[in-house]
Amino acid sequence: MSGATGGTAPHTAPRHRVVITGLGVVTSIGTGVDAFADGLRAGRSGAKPIGAFDTTGFAYSNACEITDFDPEEWLRDMAADELGRAAQFAVAGSRMAVADAGLTEDDVRARRTLVSVGTTDGESRDLDHLIGLQVTEGEDRLDATVARRVWPGRLSAGIVRELGLEDVETVTVPTACAAGNYAVGSGYDAISSGDVEMALCGGADALCRKTFTGFYRLGTIAPDVCRPFDADRQGILTGEGAGILLMESLESALGRGARIYAEVLGYGLSCDASHPVAPDRDSIARCITAAHRNAGIEASDVDFISAHGTGTKANDVTEVGAIRQVFGDELPRTVSIKSMIGHTMGAASALAAAACSLALREGFIPPTINHRTTDPECAVDCVPNEAVEARLRVVQNNGLAFGGNNAVLMLGHWDENATETLPADATAAA
Amino acid sequence: MSADAVTTAHDLVVSGWAVSSPYGLGRDGFTAGLREGRRAVAALDSEQWPVPYEEAGLIPGFDIKAVLGRKGTRSMDRVTAIAATTVGMLLEEYGAGLAADPESTGLVLGTSGSVQSIMDFTRDALTGKAPYLVDPARFPNTVMNCPTGQSAIRHTLKGPNVTVSGGAATGLLALNYASRLLRGGHATALLAGAAEEFSVQRARLEQVADHGGSAAEPLGEGAALFLLESGAAARDSGRTVLATVLGCRFRAFRDTGRASAVLKSCVDEVLAAAGATADDIALIAPGTPPGVFGKEEAAALDGLAAPRLAVRPLIGDATAAGAAFQLAAVLAESAARPELVDRLALVTAVDRDGTVGAALLRLG
Amino acid sequence: MTTQIADLSTERKAEIKEIVCDILELELDEVTDISLFKEEHDADSLRTIEILASMERNFGLVLEQAELSRMVNLAGVYAVVAEAEGK
Repeated sequence: MSGATGGTAPHTAPRHRVVITGLGVVTSIGTGVDAFADGLRAGRSGAKPIGAFDTTGFAYSNACEITDFDPEEWLRDMAADELGRAAQFAVAGSRMAVADAGLTEDDVRARRTLVSVGTTDGESRDLDHLIGLQVTEGEDRLDATVARRVWPGRLSAGIVRELGLEDVETVTVPTACAAGNYAVGSGYDAISSGDVEMALCGGADALCRKTFTGFYRLGTIAPDVCRPFDADRQGILTGEGAGILLMESLESALGRGARIYAEVLGYGLSCDASHPVAPDRDSIARCITAAHRNAGIEASDVDFISAHGTGTKANDVTEVGAIRQVFGDELPRTVSIKSMIGHTMGAASALAAAACSLALREGFIPPTINHRTTDPECAVDCVPNEAVEARLRVVQNNGLAFGGNNAVLMLGHWDENATETLPADATAAA
Repeated sequence: MSADAVTTAHDLVVSGWAVSSPYGLGRDGFTAGLREGRRAVAALDSEQWPVPYEEAGLIPGFDIKAVLGRKGTRSMDRVTAIAATTVGMLLEEYGAGLAADPESTGLVLGTSGSVQSIMDFTRDALTGKAPYLVDPARFPNTVMNCPTGQSAIRHTLKGPNVTVSGGAATGLLALNYASRLLRGGHATALLAGAAEEFSVQRARLEQVADHGGSAAEPLGEGAALFLLESGAAARDSGRTVLATVLGCRFRAFRDTGRASAVLKSCVDEVLAAAGATADDIALIAPGTPPGVFGKEEAAALDGLAAPRLAVRPLIGDATAAGAAFQLAAVLAESAARPELVDRLALVTAVDRDGTVGAALLRLG
Repeated sequence: MTTQIADLSTERKAEIKEIVCDILELELDEVTDISLFKEEHDADSLRTIEILASMERNFGLVLEQAELSRMVNLAGVYAVVAEAEGK
């Protein structure tokens, strides 16, 4: 990329290193970082029959639904009916991330912050409800309370309102199923450039009829479970949840003695510009290469890849092909946590980034569950069914989306005992 | 290039723009309409648009197949067509040389997608003989990044492809996101802006939204897009610097009564960061939201003497595209008044969900 | 599979052809019974799923996803539809 020279920077101020110090997760295998970490290590499955909407008429209808979420537990300022389910997840994730970082909400209020939330569907679940009312009760029927909360800006604005932030940039990033990585990438740029001191970034989505139906119609919903990289894989299970990462500059984290999960080394973006739903190998490979360059690392530095790994026939072959294009024959272990938590859409790459952060901190690689026989067409060591212990230094997190929107995030291990062991930041690399 | 004296090679500049608005497709009608103060909001055909509004600012006679042709438009929705059309106009007029490096050219589009497409898709699911008898070709329309991705497909933009959303501040958020991508070295040139469609479902939802205690105002639609690159890149490509982006600031308010104070902070901060003062501002394009939000915005700008360009009263509430239209209005005014060169322009937004933003540009 | 083609009326075939041509964004005379959607008409997998979905929606059929592998040209679509209607 000819633009990757750093030459467009208008200011000559040094860029800051960026670290992740807080994780907030709402998932079908556990809410809260400890439950999530336990679930990842144990290879837990969130798959179950859908309860979110009536599934009569579908031949099969499993999803990774969250059945124990109580919004009242997380909302202080707003009434639960002022926010849709995705925004509720986002608020809960943010509150958890702040607390997990050892911060109070006052601490966050005192800093210039970015709140950036990725999503695929926003509050489409509410739009499903509203159109359902029109269908059953008449075109003019409108549930005004629900109608007021459907706009995607609420996913980020809800967090800001609930935390009472004022010196804050508030943005929702609806770049579909790679949105979480986009949001974390934007947080990385905002902190490293010194635009903000802290960032709450991630993604959120709620299970909805619209998206289940779309994937079902495309023939990409698995009848039972999601089996990424398996010869018998039949597709995705839709999922829901939120992953919010609290990020800050390294100085800030060290200054307050924060626990550091991982360093954000950089990220890359690319667009296929070829097809609305089919992934493109060359473009994904280009995105991976851009991420490596931005992070200042080589492919051989990567210890494992958290794949987009949806478990559809097309994705897994194309994605592994792209990885092979960059890595050659020596592929790092390549896993998909979608086997456990389903495809959580806009939250997917954010939750995967949270999983990578935990992996780097705790020294393990989460498994790809439901695995029986690896497909030779996408042959990777997917860490089948059981987590493995591993000393990790650099981890790659892939996010691929409709619209050919690719985003790849690079995270690095933070060694508390040696402060200069990691590759330098993007400035040096560019 | 008149701004050479003050534009350094590293500055981010706007070196092209395109607009689709209730004044029609293109900059000329937009510029003329705004400068005449002609209202582009018109009576709605209630047969075609069964909505709780009497009038709206629609792109006149916008017909997707007529504008974009038959190929690839069979299942395209309105906001996608508006975005793709406007991207096409921008590239056609200003895109010389960009095609040679498609991987370094991207698009940052502000939009909240199409609630009409989402609801139509679910309607099919709920009313068909079986719940899965939907049109798969319309599924991508139900994902909010569809206008951005489709525009990239039609115009081969392989660099970063980003969709952002943030109510009335959306256009400013897109500008800021694009600026950050350029500074971070993720692209050499970005098309940044926002798009919005008029639809029956959007109108029904907007009608009951929070309008600051006032009645809902007529809705508008369209898109405005800007070519953003470094001053050096613009110069190398022979493009004129239309404006230099000096900065964007955002804040939030929980109580509406704080909106003016936080917006004023944003304005003070963008001025301070640019080493400028309030007297340097020669043009203001405020969001002019209804009710108490508008009063708060006016209060924040109270001390600034510069003339206001009020866009929304003429073309309607273009929601996601609103701030992008304001920025376009600034460029339109600037093009018509050469004396504005080197003067500053301020664009502001106050959103009902509790966020505010301000962008400062140096003209010419 | 040719045995089923005869089961479809000329009208039904014309209907199917019109739907398919609309999806492929082609004129009626550009598509023959045996011209291949993918190889000759640049159709991707989403287009073929659209064709299958349209058959289901328009003719009230239930088609297995596996039938996609047979629906490579109009003759294949006719055969699949004829078979499903015969059930």
